[in-house]
Amino acid sequence: MGGPSSPPIPNSLPDPSFVFAQSVSGLTAAMFLFLIASGLSLIFGVLRVLNFAHGTFYMLGAYCAYQFMVWLQPGPGKFWLAALAAGLVVAALGGLVERLLFRHLYGKEELYQLLFTYALVLILSDAAKMIWGTQQKSVSRPPELTGAFKVFGATIPDYNLLILLLGPAIALAVWYVLQRTRVGRFIRAAALDRETLGALGVNVNALYTWVFVMASFLGGLGGALISPMRATVPGMDTEVIVEAFVVVVIGGLGSFWGTFLGALIYGQVLSFGILFFPRFSIFAVFALMAAVLIVRPWGLLGRPLK
Amino acid sequence: MQRRTSLILLLATLLVVPLAADAQKPIKVGMPMPLSGPAALFGEPASKGAMMFIEEINAKGGVLGRKLELVTRDSKADANEAVRQARELILKDNVDFLVGTLTSAEGPAVSVVAKENKIVFIAPIPKTDQLTAADKLHPYVFRISANTTMEGRSAAEIVAKWPVTKIATMSFDYAYGQDVTRAFVEHLKKIKPSAQIVDQQWPKLGEQDYNPFINAQMAKKPEAIFSSIWGGFFVTYSKQGKALGMFDAVKYNFIGVGEAGSPETTKSMGPDYPVGIWGNSYDAFYWGETAAHKDYTARLSKYLKDEYPSSWAIQGYTGMQFLAEAIKKANSTESDKVAKALLGLTIETPIGPQTIREKDHQANRGQLYGKTVKDPKYPFAIMKPVTYVDPTKFMD
Repeated sequence: MGGPSSPPIPNSLPDPSFVFAQSVSGLTAAMFLFLIASGLSLIFGVLRVLNFAHGTFYMLGAYCAYQFMVWLQPGPGKFWLAALAAGLVVAALGGLVERLLFRHLYGKEELYQLLFTYALVLILSDAAKMIWGTQQKSVSRPPELTGAFKVFGATIPDYNLLILLLGPAIALAVWYVLQRTRVGRFIRAAALDRETLGALGVNVNALYTWVFVMASFLGGLGGALISPMRATVPGMDTEVIVEAFVVVVIGGLGSFWGTFLGALIYGQVLSFGILFFPRFSIFAVFALMAAVLIVRPWGLLGRPLK
Repeated sequence: MQRRTSLILLLATLLVVPLAADAQKPIKVGMPMPLSGPAALFGEPASKGAMMFIEEINAKGGVLGRKLELVTRDSKADANEAVRQARELILKDNVDFLVGTLTSAEGPAVSVVAKENKIVFIAPIPKTDQLTAADKLHPYVFRISANTTMEGRSAAEIVAKWPVTKIATMSFDYAYGQDVTRAFVEHLKKIKPSAQIVDQQWPKLGEQDYNPFINAQMAKKPEAIFSSIWGGFFVTYSKQGKALGMFDAVKYNFIGVGEAGSPETTKSMGPDYPVGIWGNSYDAFYWGETAAHKDYTARLSKYLKDEYPSSWAIQGYTGMQFLAEAIKKANSTESDKVAKALLGLTIETPIGPQTIREKDHQANRGQLYGKTVKDPKYPFAIMKPVTYVDPTKFMD
């Protein structure tokens, strides 16, 4: 079996409007990925658990958004209400999972943690299949954002622009909570030394639950916000978790800004990769990850584990 | 250990001994089919179509006075898993035949198992040409779906009539995407020499972000696009394409094979579907060409409790129908005889007569094609007029 007839060959320098469009699409992809990967990174940074089920929370966010779109009366802001509600439902589920199940995993071997979170992936995705079936679900873009505008000859959909703005806004909000609030200080302290923090009278258990709730909210919100641009189908969880892993590995596990940087790099490499190696752009991303792992195993902005 | 082995042997004997005696036992058919993951979207309705056929024929007394029994297993759309399930179905469940598999990876893999065990295997969905290619063909494998050559050429026949010459393609970078795109491009160049392929994009199977691929393609200014992005992936691709103005840019000169015109897809997308593009489908409940099809649709609708029943059920249904007719013709359930009976067999299916060719064990399964339009009768787009493209004249 040979390859296809003729792979596209870049015959001349790409025109600037295309380069611009490509970088914007890379940025949009990066912001989506950041929403999802930031929760994964947060849980690892504080709880030291690699939550394989984070992608499943993202999928549930998309399904919940669909469900709320069906339930809610048509009206202004319906989509945003549905997205917020989806994020909250997933956050509540995250809290429940942490309280009842995750709690028993802290400090256990990584293998147990991985097995457990993987089991959670299977259980939750089967549950989703029982509730929503196997048929693809689709959510429309909010009516006020169905248009697109042209900048330098490139078409930018309004919805993508909103995501471009929302990504950094959420990053700043999380950064603010972590750096400038009392809870944030506790969270950062818990990441460094859980026992001492407990000895100082802080309820570390409750703190862990809140971190998990926050991370699940980010994952669920990410799924809800992405649903207008993708199909909601079984299996979307395992696709996204691999991408999110690549992002946090490049940026540094547990590092918040590292995740942001990792997502930006991932988006641009993927976008421009197809210009230079049309059929291997995904390979370029993995090659980058491998290179980072060799040179800086703790990621670009991460700290080496002791 | 010793005791456990003898226990297993005893159990095995108990399972095997009754086989010889009972002539009234059901004829067992094994079906490895994806029932979980993204491919379950099609695997599930296909298995239900098979089940409906079996219930209907059993109600009429079965085949050769014996009932048919379906044993379904989840192949998880994975070739290794499909092979494992097929082996288990043959060795442990003692199935007499295999009807099943969905992806172009599973089909050829299970075909090897069928060859080893000399068991008839009917593939109702996998399209890759490899399955029935001369070097892979063996007496026990049959395909009742379209193949990539037939699908690619059908699309080329349609695109050749459009007033366009600059054409781009968008397909996943794996067996099905490559094969169907090659068939399309080769046939188009043959029947319309003025056609040029200005761009080809190959996202990985299961891609979620098509923006960079669409941007790159639109920069080449094609006048028409051929896509084989299938199923739920088409939903993602076309939503992103619509937002980027892709369909407007090519004036809706767009054809989506891989069942982009199936009622399931247009239904799930509702108002987001890029109405005006061309698509294809295995079946459509609104087709209603013949009394047989109308009757089948009504039964299926009742069976699935769905007002707009799935277009994939027909593949499981006709797969079983071919098998049942071949058993009748052979007057036997021995795979050697049934395999011979399948050669050149013509049956009346709900979509019309279908024949399995003797030379390559391939049925002349065409698909429905049409331009999608909004129809006030339905809350989603339909193909109208919808035409069955008979591939008989370009199968070789």
